[in-house]
Amino acid sequence: MNILRLLQQVDRRVLYVMLLLAVTLPFFVKFRVPVAVSPPTQALYDAIDSLPENSFVLFGPNYSAGTRGENGAQSEALLRHLMIMWHKKKVRFGMLAFDPQGKTLAQTIALGLQEEYNKQGYNIKEGESWVNFGYRVDQQNFVRALVKDVPGTLLVDVHDRSVATLPVMQGVHTAKDVAMILDVNPTAAYTIYIQFMQGPFKIPMGLAPTAVMAPEAFNYLDSGQIVGMLQGLQGAVEYEQLLNTFGRATRASNSLGVAHLLLISFIIMGNIAMLLERSKQRKAGGAE
Amino acid sequence: MSAWLAANKDVIVLWFGALCTLGLYSVLYKENKIYRLFEHLFLGLATGFLIANTWTDVLLPKWWEPMWNEGKWWNIFALSLGLCFYFIYSKKNSWIARLVIGFFLGVGAGQTFQGFVGDAWPQIATTFRPVIAHDAIAKTADHPAIKAVSWPDAVNNLIFLVVLLCVMSYFFFSFEQKHPVLKGSAKLGRWLMMFSFGAIFGSTIMARLALLIDRMDSLMNDFGGRMLGFTLGPIVMFFVLMALSGVVLFLVWRDKNRPAEVDET
Repeated sequence: MNILRLLQQVDRRVLYVMLLLAVTLPFFVKFRVPVAVSPPTQALYDAIDSLPENSFVLFGPNYSAGTRGENGAQSEALLRHLMIMWHKKKVRFGMLAFDPQGKTLAQTIALGLQEEYNKQGYNIKEGESWVNFGYRVDQQNFVRALVKDVPGTLLVDVHDRSVATLPVMQGVHTAKDVAMILDVNPTAAYTIYIQFMQGPFKIPMGLAPTAVMAPEAFNYLDSGQIVGMLQGLQGAVEYEQLLNTFGRATRASNSLGVAHLLLISFIIMGNIAMLLERSKQRKAGGAE
Repeated sequence: MSAWLAANKDVIVLWFGALCTLGLYSVLYKENKIYRLFEHLFLGLATGFLIANTWTDVLLPKWWEPMWNEGKWWNIFALSLGLCFYFIYSKKNSWIARLVIGFFLGVGAGQTFQGFVGDAWPQIATTFRPVIAHDAIAKTADHPAIKAVSWPDAVNNLIFLVVLLCVMSYFFFSFEQKHPVLKGSAKLGRWLMMFSFGAIFGSTIMARLALLIDRMDSLMNDFGGRMLGFTLGPIVMFFVLMALSGVVLFLVWRDKNRPAEVDET
């Protein structure tokens, strides 16, 4: 068969196998490809790093297993920083999910990181340094109630403990006591926080959307409604570089780079083959 | 939970996750019953998880326990209000459902108005940008301090304004776009939106790749690593994946070389 035609008619499953190789082989290479940190990632890092002493952050793991590949890595990177901030400035955080899977996925990450950092003497404790409020429904009405009375709206955490009595909630009564909102969200529901909490109470907000949703979120970044953003998995890779840690995102970054190169080469090869084939056909037509 | 189940919970979860991943990816060869089985399983689990969590995290602490244990009997009215929605199925009494629906529509409309102001107003305000460079202006009794604007920033702001006006002119449908200026800016607006859609499409590819990488990481490092050790496990899983890919490629080759069936009718 003509090589030009072959390049345009490769079975899609052959391409899948090549993509599988491109994704899996880099797992065996243990090195970090340096990445340029984008301004939105740097801005989010700076905003979290400059949080005042003993402040409280509302963290929203609003994703499910379907987008864990991106949002899981983003959550891990952000929770790492929050735990480091607990060690440095006693910054506390509470996790509130409007997706039922989000509360479990974030709890697993938080417990894993707590174990990792406690080995380094960070003394992180659930209930004192952080809390998981669990899953709640009807985000819009819930947030409207939350801004007026945080413990009264949340009532209990995932372990059925009264939120009002937990040491982590000391001094947190209304939205004014929340120093920052961090939303890890694959949908446009992050706008609810902007509309009913960030805007009215002028609370700095950071966003971690999936790469698909990131272009739309630039409006909010430009207007200052969000202070910084992690753009999909790449954002998490950049964040881990800023934290100087080798986490889930960095492990995936080499695979992401190789897979991108492969896809770009597929597109270039396919187009070159198509153009050459066309010009060949045109010449053949002219000769007749 | 039996003692055996409790002791082997983590292993079962890992095996289940690995089998589900491979089962769901079998669709890459072609639509098949194994894929369908795992797809329904995933949907069923996600729905069940949602229902269970709605009860344990929301209804139980916020509605049932206050009503049953703390004497807040009036919580029962929330249930009655919710049940009123079902009158929609009665021809005679559907007006009751319309009352409840009307109430929630009103609440929703009011909140949407408030939400739109909170969402869009700051964006409208930030479109007013300086397009001429100037030095910083200190705070006075009448004016707040104004930051300096450099020439590159001014050019950037000008580009922003041109893009904004061109894209908005594309959506200007009040009269026919015959004027050459309006026609040209609308055309440019369409092209500029194409750039934006291109960025979204590129990001979509990155997002999909991230999901694939996560599943492969889970198969090789989580499953393989914990089952066979973090040195040997990923290597074994890599060869398992390659063997499965080989099977798929063989099936594809066999399908392509199968002689076409002759229709004898």
